[in-house]
Amino acid sequence: MRAKLSASGLQKLVLLGILVGISLVFSFTTRGFLSIPNWSNILRLSSFVVVTGAGVTLLMIARNIDLSVGSTLALTHVLFAIFCRAGVPVAPAILMTLAAGALIGFLNGVLVVRLRITPFIATLGTLYMLRGFTLIITGAKSVRENLPKAFSLLGRGSLGPLPVPMLVILVVLVLFILLERKSLLGKYAIAIGGNPLAAELSGINVKRIVWGLFIIVGILAGLSGVLIASWMGVAEPNIGSGFEFDVIIAVVLGGTSLAGGEGSVLGMLIGALIVEVIGNGLNQMNVLSFYQSVLKGVILVLAVLLDQNLKVRLRRAAAGEAVSRERA
Amino acid sequence: MVQSRRIGFDLQKLATLGVLAVIVVVFSLLTPKFLTYLNLNNVMMQVSLIMLTGSAMALLMISGNLDLSVGGVLACVGVMHAYMSKHGIPTNLSILMAALIGGGFGILNGLMVTRLQITPVVATLGTMYVGRGMAFLIARWDGGANIATGLPRDFEALGRTMVGPVPLPLVIVLAVVLLFIFVQTKTVFGRFLFVIGGNRTSALLSGVKVNRTVTLMFTVTGLLAGLCGAIFVSRIGTGPPKIGTGFEFDVIVAVVLGGTSIYGGEGSVLGMVLGALIVGFVANGFNLLDIHSFYQTLFKGVVLVAAILLDQTIKRRVA
Amino acid sequence: MNEKLLEIQGLSKFFPGVVALKDVSFDIYRNTVHCIVGENGAGKSTLIKILTGALRRNAGRILYDGKEFSPHSTRDAMNAGMSVLFQELNVVDQLSVEQNLTLGLENSTFGFERKSTRTGQVLEVLRSLDPTIAPQQRVGELSVAQKQVIEITKAISSDSSIIVMDEPTAALSEEEVERLFAIVKNLRHQNVTVIYITHRLAEIFRIGDFVTVLRDGQIIGTRAVSELAGSCASEVESCAELIRMMLGKVVAERYVPSPVDRSQRVLELNHVNSAKLRDVGLELYKGEILGVYGLIGSGKTEIARAIYGLDEVEGEIRVHGRRRRLDNPAAAIASGIAMVPEERRTEGLCTKLSIRENIPVMNMKAIARLGITSRRREKGLARGFIEKVRIVARDEEQKVALLSGGNQQKVVFAKCLNARSAILLLDEPTRGIDVGAKEEIHNIVRELSRGGTSVIVFSSELPEILNLCDRIILLYQGRVKQVLANGSDIDSEKIMHVVTGAGEAGNAS
Repeated sequence: MRAKLSASGLQKLVLLGILVGISLVFSFTTRGFLSIPNWSNILRLSSFVVVTGAGVTLLMIARNIDLSVGSTLALTHVLFAIFCRAGVPVAPAILMTLAAGALIGFLNGVLVVRLRITPFIATLGTLYMLRGFTLIITGAKSVRENLPKAFSLLGRGSLGPLPVPMLVILVVLVLFILLERKSLLGKYAIAIGGNPLAAELSGINVKRIVWGLFIIVGILAGLSGVLIASWMGVAEPNIGSGFEFDVIIAVVLGGTSLAGGEGSVLGMLIGALIVEVIGNGLNQMNVLSFYQSVLKGVILVLAVLLDQNLKVRLRRAAAGEAVSRERA
Repeated sequence: MVQSRRIGFDLQKLATLGVLAVIVVVFSLLTPKFLTYLNLNNVMMQVSLIMLTGSAMALLMISGNLDLSVGGVLACVGVMHAYMSKHGIPTNLSILMAALIGGGFGILNGLMVTRLQITPVVATLGTMYVGRGMAFLIARWDGGANIATGLPRDFEALGRTMVGPVPLPLVIVLAVVLLFIFVQTKTVFGRFLFVIGGNRTSALLSGVKVNRTVTLMFTVTGLLAGLCGAIFVSRIGTGPPKIGTGFEFDVIVAVVLGGTSIYGGEGSVLGMVLGALIVGFVANGFNLLDIHSFYQTLFKGVVLVAAILLDQTIKRRVA
Repeated sequence: MNEKLLEIQGLSKFFPGVVALKDVSFDIYRNTVHCIVGENGAGKSTLIKILTGALRRNAGRILYDGKEFSPHSTRDAMNAGMSVLFQELNVVDQLSVEQNLTLGLENSTFGFERKSTRTGQVLEVLRSLDPTIAPQQRVGELSVAQKQVIEITKAISSDSSIIVMDEPTAALSEEEVERLFAIVKNLRHQNVTVIYITHRLAEIFRIGDFVTVLRDGQIIGTRAVSELAGSCASEVESCAELIRMMLGKVVAERYVPSPVDRSQRVLELNHVNSAKLRDVGLELYKGEILGVYGLIGSGKTEIARAIYGLDEVEGEIRVHGRRRRLDNPAAAIASGIAMVPEERRTEGLCTKLSIRENIPVMNMKAIARLGITSRRREKGLARGFIEKVRIVARDEEQKVALLSGGNQQKVVFAKCLNARSAILLLDEPTRGIDVGAKEEIHNIVRELSRGGTSVIVFSSELPEILNLCDRIILLYQGRVKQVLANGSDIDSEKIMHVVTGAGEAGNAS
């Protein structure tokens, strides 16, 4: 008899509870914390992490990781500004930026899938390569002159009461929750992360799927790049360091295991909101961003710890009825 | 690539030496400023910090672990040293405390990896952010974004004193490197690091106290990173919290170029020295040729991936 | 109806220094349950790995349905209609039963899964095999037996004509074994041929149509089970013929009694319990070679791990009379216990390092003073052991990875000998090793016991046990069933009865 509430459902409720709890706490320390303009801001600011996080969730479910998303964000957002400044209309500029993101994802795929370098190291390498590249093409200067008005539309505009970024989040979220739960891509990601050998033997083309996931992450990071450039109104080549960190925290907080096999896009959303709410609340209390940096480090370690601790406990329980591992 | 018969050169080190030689030749041909005493001195100063932390990082990576936090620790401890010196603590004592604080970060890393079984990359990434955040914090406490004023006169002593013709930091680095080469090749501790990195299960079954050894190695790495922080700030005479960005990367590249496998079980401190020289000379050469440091960042990324790739291909052929 | 489905002709497989299979030939008929039995090291795994594409053969050929069959990978074999149930279950714990059953075979539009009639059919098969498994259940919550059912279901519904099962009952309870047998017996009627690999002789009589016996990489014979059963009066005697085939003439011809000092009990286990062990007790005397014999899953390795501090167990362990808490191998070594582990490559050695670097690790004091190693002493130590244990290598600098299996094992031995422990545990000490090296290692063990070292040999090779050990402990399903003294009158057939559970009430049908 299966209980209505699964373990993962319970986890999401707990996360939601944490989010609500923290928000309530801040509502006491800051006036207007629970107001619409503040929350509109929170949603707008968390959009960058959420959009990229949707793809990274799937990637991490499949037992991979991408540390280069911050540098991808930086590079793509600079490219977007450059395209617009060069006179390319906004819509095609966006498409070109997304294509650049896809290319970056392809490159990561080459390193991880083709050359079989550990994802941690491979994407660490691209992190530096892309960062360097970004600095080179901008000469370390921000791109701010001659940007068309439409440039900021995405980031700062609103459709009625809803900030445009929030609509983007909505579309991406709906798409990726569907992918995660209902599509073959989601199912195969779980299989690859949960038991790669079984996935292989079932005929799943593991290489193609992992490669595809890296490309998807690249495209989403590109989209985040467009959003952030548009929101800032300029392109700053130094942004994004630490972004990969924010994304991973959101994903892990949301219930994705570093070991792969399980995770949740919805959970990632709540995780990202928690991090953003904490940041927002602390900002309004005039707490320095440096404390926040420290706090983020602590949260990451705690989240991973919780994840691993749970796993160890589950594994020990399962060991009681282990299959005999003596070989013939 | 693996411990050779004598402390002499094996194929891997020969190759690294070859690359170094080529680089030196190329750059000296491209610019007359390269082979001057002043310039070489400069390079050695830059490279000395990499070698200092690299000595420990090489041993740590031989044991199959990794420490991404050394840059953050360098910054945090460096700023802390400046802060403490400024606020009345005698400089030498402050240096000692700085090293100990670095060691504290190291213990934290070690415990997270061994007791809590968090992957080294995640654990040290977390420490890195904590360290860097604290660096900014402490600078803030001092009232500014940078601790630049009010430092005692002997603050720069560590960085600028000369021992004969050689700067003090270089002497320290030399001593540490020699010590660590000794540890690597001639001590039980060093042997255990190789065994742990080569086959952790086998090490456990052979009675090696794996957790203790690994934690100790992390502690030493943190300690040296802290010492680097103290040396760095005394050299520049101020305590800006932005220092050390990308430092962990330079150190890891130096170690990997020197023949240490990221999977553990093989490598050498001597190789790291060669690798550090390569990194240093390339950076220096780029600077002299007025090539922007951004190209360096790009280049470094390429080098890291290429080095790992090479490492893997060679391993696979032998395996 | 019963024509030949698989014809195996002259199959041979060599590894450096070891002949795993030699000229193996037999036929498997359609829609039968064909059992393959043999001791450990007989070649069962190698045969199956070649059949299923995980290994390439060196000689011979396989005809599948009359056509040449040469799979290059397990995937190849699966595409040809051969499904394999490994001991490591190939299910994805994080997905549901239904998702696992359709994995890789889904009908989809634009990448979204669509329910098809196929799904209904597969679930129907599942229901017929085990109606208690709900399709939406998370596979991770199922028992091992249920996961096996899922794998069988998947095999059947992907139209496999052959299902290979490798020791499937190793982790099942008696009830679950019964259910599995019912399923297997039924598979014949579903146009499936089952190749069933097992140690447990009683099972052959329960479900087998044919049985092929392997010994030392060669075919001893293939019989119809009905012949075997019919030619004897009772169950027990059918087993006897089978046993005779499996073991050949087992005479403890090389056994030499060790000088045992019965006044000194060096090791004692009392009421040891764990997940797999049930109230285990044993005693080891000084200078004795004690054997622990049982089949896979009987608990041999668990006892070794308990003594060596790798597993937490309830109960008491006494070393030299004093109760000890052995929490980890370092503690065990400090108490004078050393172990040669089961897997030399992954547990016993650092293959990247040389012979010289591997040997001293358990006892660095032999080459180091105050923590500083002496290269000279290290070389001397290595050379000494190379000579003593007769390791065949270029010199002490050779990387262990390049040595043959037998020589690698000798390096592990050298490691333990260097530790100079009073008690030595040997876990499958000569598995996969050529005959010459086997004999040399056995001689080393005898010499050790003569010198006063007490040895426990955990082995699933009966000849090894009978050639070496003074006393033998027989294990079955985690329990000590019997303790025998070795001698010329030892009855290996009776031993097999005990360890296969053939003598257990309720196991012979």
